Amino acid sequence: MAQDAPGAVGARLSPKLDEASLIRAVQRGDQDAFEQLVRAYDQSVLRLAVNLLRSQEDARDVFQEAFLRVFRSIDAFRFDCSFHTWLYRIVTNICLDYLRKRKVRKEEPAVVDTPEGPLDRTNDFEEEAAHADPERNMWNRQLSSRIEGALAGLTPRERMVFELRHYQGLRLRNIGEILGTSEEAAKNCLFRATQKMRAELGDFQ
Amino acid sequence: MNCETVTKLIPLYFYGELPPDDEDALEQHLDACAACARLAESQRKLSAALDRRESQPSAALLAECRHDLMRAIYREESSAVRRVEPRRSGHWLEGLGAWMPSFGAWRMPVGASAMLALGFAAARLTTPGGSGPLSTASLIPDNTISSVRSVQPVSDSGRPGEVQIVLDETHRRVVSGQLNDANIQRLMLAAAHDESNAGVRWESVNLLKSHSDSSAIRELLLNRVVEDPNPGVRLKALDGLKAYTDDPEVRKVLAQVLLHDANPGVRIQAVDSLTAHADDNMVGVLQSVVQKENNSYVRRRCAKALQDLNASVGTF
Repeated sequence: MAQDAPGAVGARLSPKLDEASLIRAVQRGDQDAFEQLVRAYDQSVLRLAVNLLRSQEDARDVFQEAFLRVFRSIDAFRFDCSFHTWLYRIVTNICLDYLRKRKVRKEEPAVVDTPEGPLDRTNDFEEEAAHADPERNMWNRQLSSRIEGALAGLTPRERMVFELRHYQGLRLRNIGEILGTSEEAAKNCLFRATQKMRAELGDFQ
Repeated sequence: MNCETVTKLIPLYFYGELPPDDEDALEQHLDACAACARLAESQRKLSAALDRRESQPSAALLAECRHDLMRAIYREESSAVRRVEPRRSGHWLEGLGAWMPSFGAWRMPVGASAMLALGFAAARLTTPGGSGPLSTASLIPDNTISSVRSVQPVSDSGRPGEVQIVLDETHRRVVSGQLNDANIQRLMLAAAHDESNAGVRWESVNLLKSHSDSSAIRELLLNRVVEDPNPGVRLKALDGLKAYTDDPEVRKVLAQVLLHDANPGVRIQAVDSLTAHADDNMVGVLQSVVQKENNSYVRRRCAKALQDLNASVGTF
């Protein structure tokens, strides 16, 4: 029954250059290498930001800020860790700032109530399978609303660990490395997150 | 292994984070303990529900993010580039236009291929010190970009160590002026059709859409919203048409977009514009969309518009 989460992150690099050579080329000022490096990771970075923040505008800001920081500080990258870990440290720090600010401001959630039931605003751009069953659609929307509520009840750090493990498919040891904590602390975070969500969601099917 | 330990380990087990020995012990416990087995099943259901929630960013959003990043990098470094002496190539921003192919030549105000296509208008615009058609625009000579085509020793010169280097040089000019200047608009209308460069098309449409009272620009927007291969450009063109959603010609085009555009984001924007006005002529289109549309938001908007028009949602 044990399974790995879907959507494991995989950098999509051209076979022509390995990552270390690419990074060294970027540090020498090779623009094509920078393009390859950005494109290897930008989809997974955007997916992380969209899933975490449930706001396309915030996700765009995170995307830009993260890669601008890479652009400005790639010279300081010394191969002490993988580029993926280094990049994700930058991205998760920015996302955590957004989540913390949002907690303080208690921003409007992504799922809003409409006369036709709860509606996830971030689903507007998704292609959906044609569902002929309106009751099923309504049920899905209600479940979606409850899941968003359960996720909103997590602390920003729990939310981040859960996102990285469940949706990005990262190992807990790597997550600890990214977040500057231990594997054990990441395990505890994941446990607390799942406990809270099970308690919140109860007996859904 | 007791129930308390198993409870704590179930999430780790589910995510494959347990050592093999612990995994075996936990599975033995689940076989024997119905309460913990229910807990494991609950974890599986939670995971399945969360899988369904995942959002995949659209291609249009990714394209816009890449474009914004390019623009931000260009702005940040453009002053540094200006300080580079003429003919000194090799600064990596010299080639920024190439490093994201879909946005190539971004750092120039207009795409290179668009400039070539302009012919007469461009020639008039880029005459330094010229008067007449470009009184509101200023021309600033810029760097020359060089690339080395070949390097070879010259063996027959009689001078040992002599080499021959062949350079390809492109002379670049910056043209600036007001958006309402007719010549600037002509350049940008051409740039908005630059097939090689989605970034230039996007920015040109984005800037021109604020002048959609001009018939030439409205024609451009109508053309781009249907013809442009990039959904980000089509969305910008739709933005520019918002003020004209009561115009029958514009509505016809919006209906075509709603029926045929492959991108759900574009269809969402089209349906919002189209349903902003009650229009009996659109009943057939709206019914057709309700029948075949995959996106639930678009379907709901069309169904609501049909109800407001007292028309049936289905066709019989």
